Amino acid sequence: MTMAHIEPVALNPTALPRDPSGPSAARKATVAAFIEAERRNAKRQVLINRALAAGFGVFVIAVWAIATMGGFVHALIIPTPMDTFWATGRVMSADYFWPNAWVTLQEIFWGFLIGALAGVILGIGVAMFGPVRATLYPYLVALQAPPKIVLAPIFITWFGFDMASKIAISVVMCFFPMFLNTLTGLSSVDPNAVKLMRSLTASRWQTFRYLLLPNALPIMMAGVKLCWTLAVLGVIVGEFVGASAGIGYLIYAMNFQLDIAGVFSLIILLSLFTLVIYNLIEAFEARIIFWSQL
Amino acid sequence: MTQSLIQGQNLSKVYGTATGPLVALDDVSFHIEEGEFISLVGPSGCGKSTLLSILGGLEAKTEGTLVVGGKHHDAPRADIGMMFQTSVLFPWRSIRENVRLPGLILGLDKRQQAQRSEELLDMVGLNGFGDRYPGELSGGMRQRVGLARLLAHDPRMLLMDEPFGALDEFTRETMNLELLRIWEKTRKTVIFVTHNIGEAVFLSDRVFVMTPRPGRLEGIVEIDLPRPRTTAMMRDPRYSELVFEIRRMLGVDH
Ligand SMILES: Nc1ncnc2c1ncn2[C@@H]1O[C@H](COP(=O)(O)OP(=O)(O)O)[C@@H](O)[C@H]1O
Ligand SMILES: [Mg+2]
Repeated sequence: MTMAHIEPVALNPTALPRDPSGPSAARKATVAAFIEAERRNAKRQVLINRALAAGFGVFVIAVWAIATMGGFVHALIIPTPMDTFWATGRVMSADYFWPNAWVTLQEIFWGFLIGALAGVILGIGVAMFGPVRATLYPYLVALQAPPKIVLAPIFITWFGFDMASKIAISVVMCFFPMFLNTLTGLSSVDPNAVKLMRSLTASRWQTFRYLLLPNALPIMMAGVKLCWTLAVLGVIVGEFVGASAGIGYLIYAMNFQLDIAGVFSLIILLSLFTLVIYNLIEAFEARIIFWSQL
Repeated sequence: MTQSLIQGQNLSKVYGTATGPLVALDDVSFHIEEGEFISLVGPSGCGKSTLLSILGGLEAKTEGTLVVGGKHHDAPRADIGMMFQTSVLFPWRSIRENVRLPGLILGLDKRQQAQRSEELLDMVGLNGFGDRYPGELSGGMRQRVGLARLLAHDPRMLLMDEPFGALDEFTRETMNLELLRIWEKTRKTVIFVTHNIGEAVFLSDRVFVMTPRPGRLEGIVEIDLPRPRTTAMMRDPRYSELVFEIRRMLGVDH
């Protein structure tokens, strides 16, 4: 290989001069003022966002009020906001409310707990043990195919009109997302992390305990939230199909008696309850997967 | 003749793929002595990671014999530490807890490990970062943690697969100097994968030059630059000669 001769360039680097006393007081004040302004801007943005959300809520209620009180929609189809408000008080102070709410509460609790636990246990089993996967996985997925609501009448036949049938429907509804999210969470791991654990001669249990399980938590928590709303849905569907107590049963009965305001108030109460628990789950999630915000 | 720490004889690795068998490693033989700094260099796909995985006991060889420390080698060993291109820190463990992971897995003495993890964090320049979490650190800092964790259980051999390959030029050079400093002190056996020829020459006692399709060990280049190495040696004519020798073996220059 031949190279053309190139004259060496005389290097004469010069560093730019710097004030040894550092930034002046005026400059520092400018920077401080800038940071303060940024902080105020961020605060204002938070307030604006909240105002937007609240404003939209007010708008929806206003439309609701105008549509119903202005006579555009009949009160038998949609009650006015005021009627709904008074109905909520009436329903909550009625002596039939709390025993029925208690029944629904227990059904949801057991449905959610059993469904979520079964999902986690089977998810771990299928993810960690080859024979379990081979045996069960096809059936677990196949079970997912029919819309589970079709099981409601059958479960009522099998387990009767009481809580057991509602819990069974709830379990069947909320099991699958928990199962799938556990399985997905345990499977979506950085292959290099697995290699690292293997290179450290970690046992299967150690790999599960120190790597796979914590790594799966974010996806599993998403499953828990899904599982929660589906557990509520399962119970209410069950109570619609056949029950002698529960919030779903009350909604069904009130609807039949054309007490639409009562129905609305129950729906609102049920939604509030679901939402409060949902937010509790989210708060719990933020605590146990604190690292996702880092 | 004393026995080498690592002896590979006619090592091959064939992967079964959808398009038929793929020879990732073809009849590779070598000896590595205790305390040597070896680099594997070559274009991507030449089998560097495959060879390193076999040396780490993570991957089974298809043919040949591999003896490490006098024993046939086919499973991970606690005295071999591995490091990868990504730092693979666990984001739910603090920096300190990450460095203590090997000790935890291997059931080493807790008090001693606690002290050692602080010393190691000191050594890699992360004093005071023990309570932070990986998500709060830059890429360079994370690889420093990876380096501290690599040394936590005091392994005899360090297998490093492009450990600084994802870092920027400046950080990578700093990390190389750091690694050399640690190696000078501990004289562990290091096998370092890179596709940067200059880096390989600068760091190593010997450079294993590998070529792809199939993955072969093209030759071994003895690096006779004096120790300890300094960045000034990169201006040494001998350094350039060695770099060009390796480029020639790889067929980069014609
Ligand atoms: N698990 C695997 N299955 C199939 N082929 C693989 C696998 N791992 C690596 N290979 C192939 O083997 C060859 C060597 O790969 P690798 O050792 O990763 O090379 P390098 O690290 O030098 O880039 C490549 O052609 C790659 O596609
Ligand atoms: Mg590689």
